[in-house]
Amino acid sequence: MMQPTEMERSGGGSRAEERISVVIPHNSVSVHGISYTVRERVGLWWDIPSYHKKYTRQILKDVSFHIESGQIMAILGNSGSGKTTLLDAISGRLRQKGNFFGDVYMNGQELKKEQFQDCFSYVQQNDTLLGYLTIQESLTYTALLALQKHSNDFIKKKVDAVMAELSLSHVATNVIGSRIFRGISGGERRRVSIAAQLLQDPKVMLLDEPTTGLDCMTANQIVLLLSELARKDRIVIITIHQPRSELFRLFDKIAIMSFGELVFCGDPPEMITFFSDCNYACPDQSNPFDFYVDLTSVDTQSKERELETYRRVHRITSAYKNSEIFRKTLEAIERTKRTKDLPAIPFKSKDSPSAVSKLWILLRRTTRNFSRDKTGIIMRLSQNLFFGLFLALFLLRLKNDLLKGALQDRVGLIYQCVSAPPYIGMLNAVALFPPLRAVSDHESKDGLYQKWQIVLAYILHFLPFSIISVAMFSTFIYWTVGMNPDVSRFGCFFAVVLVPHIIGELLTLVLLGVVQNPNVVNSGVMLLNVAGVLVGSGLVRRTEDMPTPFKVLSYLTFQKYSSEVLAVNEFYGLNFTCGGSNVSPGASCVFPQGIQFIETTFPDAMSRFTTDFLMLYAFLPALVILAIVSFKIRDIIIVR
Amino acid sequence: MIFLACGKTSLLDVITCRDHGGKIKSGQIKINGKPSTHQLVKKCIAHVRQDDRLLPNLTVKETLLFVAKLRLPKTFSDSQREKRVENVIAELRLRQCANTRVGNEYIRGVSGGERRRVSIGVQLLWNPGILILDEPTSGLDSFTAHNLVITLSRLARGNRLVLLSVHQPRSDIFQLFDLVLLMTSGTTIYSGTARDMVQYFTEIGYPCPKYSNPADFYVDLTSIDKQSKEKEMESQKRARSLATLFWEKVKDSDDFLWKANEGACVTTVHSEQSSLFTPEEVINMHAHSTDQLPGGLKQFTVLLSRQISSNFRDLSTLLIHGSEALLMSLLIGFLYYGHEKSKLSIQDTIALLFMIGALIPFTVLLDVISKCHSERAMLYHDLEDGMYSVTPYFFAKILGELPEHCAFVIIYGVPIYWLANLSPEPEHFLLNFLAVWLVVFCARAMALWFAALFPTLQMSAFFGNTLFTTFFMSGGFVVSLENLWLVPLWISKLSFVRWSYESLMQIQFTELTYQMTVGNVTFQIPGKLVIQAMNLDSYPLYASYLILIGIGTGFMLLYYLSLRFIKQKSNQDW
Repeated sequence: MMQPTEMERSGGGSRAEERISVVIPHNSVSVHGISYTVRERVGLWWDIPSYHKKYTRQILKDVSFHIESGQIMAILGNSGSGKTTLLDAISGRLRQKGNFFGDVYMNGQELKKEQFQDCFSYVQQNDTLLGYLTIQESLTYTALLALQKHSNDFIKKKVDAVMAELSLSHVATNVIGSRIFRGISGGERRRVSIAAQLLQDPKVMLLDEPTTGLDCMTANQIVLLLSELARKDRIVIITIHQPRSELFRLFDKIAIMSFGELVFCGDPPEMITFFSDCNYACPDQSNPFDFYVDLTSVDTQSKERELETYRRVHRITSAYKNSEIFRKTLEAIERTKRTKDLPAIPFKSKDSPSAVSKLWILLRRTTRNFSRDKTGIIMRLSQNLFFGLFLALFLLRLKNDLLKGALQDRVGLIYQCVSAPPYIGMLNAVALFPPLRAVSDHESKDGLYQKWQIVLAYILHFLPFSIISVAMFSTFIYWTVGMNPDVSRFGCFFAVVLVPHIIGELLTLVLLGVVQNPNVVNSGVMLLNVAGVLVGSGLVRRTEDMPTPFKVLSYLTFQKYSSEVLAVNEFYGLNFTCGGSNVSPGASCVFPQGIQFIETTFPDAMSRFTTDFLMLYAFLPALVILAIVSFKIRDIIIVR
Repeated sequence: MIFLACGKTSLLDVITCRDHGGKIKSGQIKINGKPSTHQLVKKCIAHVRQDDRLLPNLTVKETLLFVAKLRLPKTFSDSQREKRVENVIAELRLRQCANTRVGNEYIRGVSGGERRRVSIGVQLLWNPGILILDEPTSGLDSFTAHNLVITLSRLARGNRLVLLSVHQPRSDIFQLFDLVLLMTSGTTIYSGTARDMVQYFTEIGYPCPKYSNPADFYVDLTSIDKQSKEKEMESQKRARSLATLFWEKVKDSDDFLWKANEGACVTTVHSEQSSLFTPEEVINMHAHSTDQLPGGLKQFTVLLSRQISSNFRDLSTLLIHGSEALLMSLLIGFLYYGHEKSKLSIQDTIALLFMIGALIPFTVLLDVISKCHSERAMLYHDLEDGMYSVTPYFFAKILGELPEHCAFVIIYGVPIYWLANLSPEPEHFLLNFLAVWLVVFCARAMALWFAALFPTLQMSAFFGNTLFTTFFMSGGFVVSLENLWLVPLWISKLSFVRWSYESLMQIQFTELTYQMTVGNVTFQIPGKLVIQAMNLDSYPLYASYLILIGIGTGFMLLYYLSLRFIKQKSNQDW
């Protein structure tokens, strides 16, 4: 089994070279003089003097290289040497913060900012996948998002081909799994991530540590596979930890980084001669990768070692900068820049569907994903009902006798119906949306869709659940405690209670767009809700008695409208009794008729009934728009 | 030192008694000849797992220092502990980030590889008899990986057992191993000394080619190739035949290790290997490091300072909770602003006093629940490891929350009191403050209990909310107490909202006289009458306080019991 592959590997390099000389014109990526620095604080915030000091950290320092299609390049280096940042820089993903200098050329042309994501496909180190989907589903949805203009048959074939290429066919129907429940293995997850990128036939693939955390066989298979992909006229650039020695000849270019500098970049034979010329010949029996990486890393275990190793790295770096190899690289970059008849920038095949059909695909994907989460569905459907059970336990039946709390009970009920549903909605969104958000962060970088589209898809997804859940709640509570027994009023009650519940979810989404930590969102939404109940509902304090700023503010709360409508809905036309007989209209019998209560607590609420109702429903589109805006802002603030 | 491949994580889980749902079908695990139990495992096995569970707001050095204080025996002095931490930091090459926050997904901190090394450092620190590492080298660069394995092998020479699972050991790392267990799909292909492995495979007809890493070669040889059906069948058949072959060879030996027949190599079997397989030999399990761990009190103080510094560092949470309290306070205060033209009417004062006790506990409830859930992964991991026991943690948690709690109540309670112009007597203010303090504390204790009781954040928060709503409803304000039927009436006795309401009312009204104007006539209404009319004087003031204290203690007790007897897993997806 080993023999043929061994031969293939040794033959690989020379064959590739042959092909390069034949296949012209080909694509090329040139990186010229990239530097990247960030300003960082010295200390942490509780250490005030050092927190105010800032220092400039150089993450990349004058990195240049040139790579042509059909080649696979490995970037080696210790952790913290800037490998990942280099990939980010090439793929145009870090321009927002820090100081960036230098240029990235594709076929000799400088790329525009928005062209980066259409040109490079980037597989990040951590796989973000939706846990409840199977591999096949996951890939099919990605394909649909990227290439929907093609027929379903084409997509099915494409997905099958990619799965076969990455040997995923035998596990195609397995569920991917997440941190909570076990699914496919790590190597398979990684291959699903790569497969998702391959669906778009990219000409340039960047992979951040595709082999980390995989066993050696799988890691080898993945690197072999990537080199095969490169042979099919692609450019593949990977960062890698501890590659095995057999892979040495497999790479067309090997770059070693140390402290942000390119210590060496060239093909394997060049590498061996270069290091031999520097008097660091690789011993026959050791892995050249390991040997050279060790050679160029700084040992911080002790001060003396640190100085010694640092000097060595410096010596090698300057030797490289003065070498023939480096000069040739610069020449190649200049040459491609000058050449006029190079092919156009090769973009990924992207026949992305219209926004509406993207939304439809995302909705299907979201629904399929959550539909396998049985406990989640049960929770979402039954929470409201369960809460209603508790309420009913308290109130049993509403009475008509004011002395027995007819008024108080009703006010309490309305208060709960206004304040509790948003809270339950928030719990749902906080539990379900963050994984989707993580996936969308990745996929929107790939240009599959915009972040707001997944928000919209999620909203469409949860609406039916909310409606069913609130319907169960309101049916139960309305008829159990015996509110105004009029079917149209029940309809109104349901329609009103539904809105706060949905608003709770929407508000959470709005905050999740701009706030990363779900716990913070938790607190924020709850605070807004409590404040809204206080100021808006008029049940805690009459709006009339409030200071003017609060009166104005109350118009901005949905609680104002929902409680007014609910109060009118329940109290209008209701007559109360007071004790056994109507003898003494005492202090607690101030409102013998429901309408009187409405007029004192919510003056003019009767005439505003329809307006209130419409205002309440106007919150929904407003918040949806706000959520979209918030996720547009997220595009800007989330850099990585 | 033993190295494994393929099927590894489950094996390690079984050894450390962490079977997740599965049952051990047959066979037994013995440590020094004693059947392995949870207690024994806790005492002498350190297990570094693939996922990192650390407090995000502590720096690397602090993290290790706290562990040093918790896990090193009493005989160590403080400077010795610090020295040990320094050594571990140097050994794992963490010096450049020693003063950086550990971080997590949401908080920027050290890099992934560094965090991994911190996790390893946590276990290296306490010098366990058996050290188990699940893929310690994955994600590390070759240089650090090599250093780490050298460190580990040095540890193993010091009469310790080190068990690693490794994916792809470099040849220089492989040479450091003593024993090798090669597995595929859960069966043993080879188990014996590392240096005999090549010989064994050569004997059965698979010589290792020159200049190739034997570990890589044989792992490739035995792994199941799933690229195509035929290859899969073929490799599976090969693996099975290899497994049977090996079983044939070792079934007669008592330790199931393959030994070369030439004789010379047999003697190289180390004592620490035997401890795993042969019950007769007993190695010294470092009695000092297990028996004289810091006592409960010491654990408590260390945990307390860890808790407080972790809380204090979490700037965003502090700011959010602080502004939450301030906002609520200003909101309620201005809503019931009582300074100008007229003082608050009786009705409004009553509503205000109820809201003070009813609104803020609600926000505290959810904050505490979500915070507990974010700490949960680390807590149950530490408890499983036996780093500390439940009791010290419980007290440290309760006490560690107090500074934040007090600050919170001050920010919340004082502005309201002043804005609403409540009774100006200082003792009334103090009593009022105490009541608010107690009711918020009750909510906090209840939140802690619910966070420990339910498996997911969503459930904890939901049931916390539901229970709080029942307390809210039975508080005596929304529905008056005499209108409640039997069950809610009982619940109302437990409702801290009710007791805070009663006590706040009594403080405010007992000594004040209110003026009320009906038409042209102005009545003087003594506050006592109001309380009597509302039936709020059934219990004296001090009784309310005692009941509040009782409720708080009750919740704490339940929290303790839940911590003690319910083993939760961390399963929040974010």
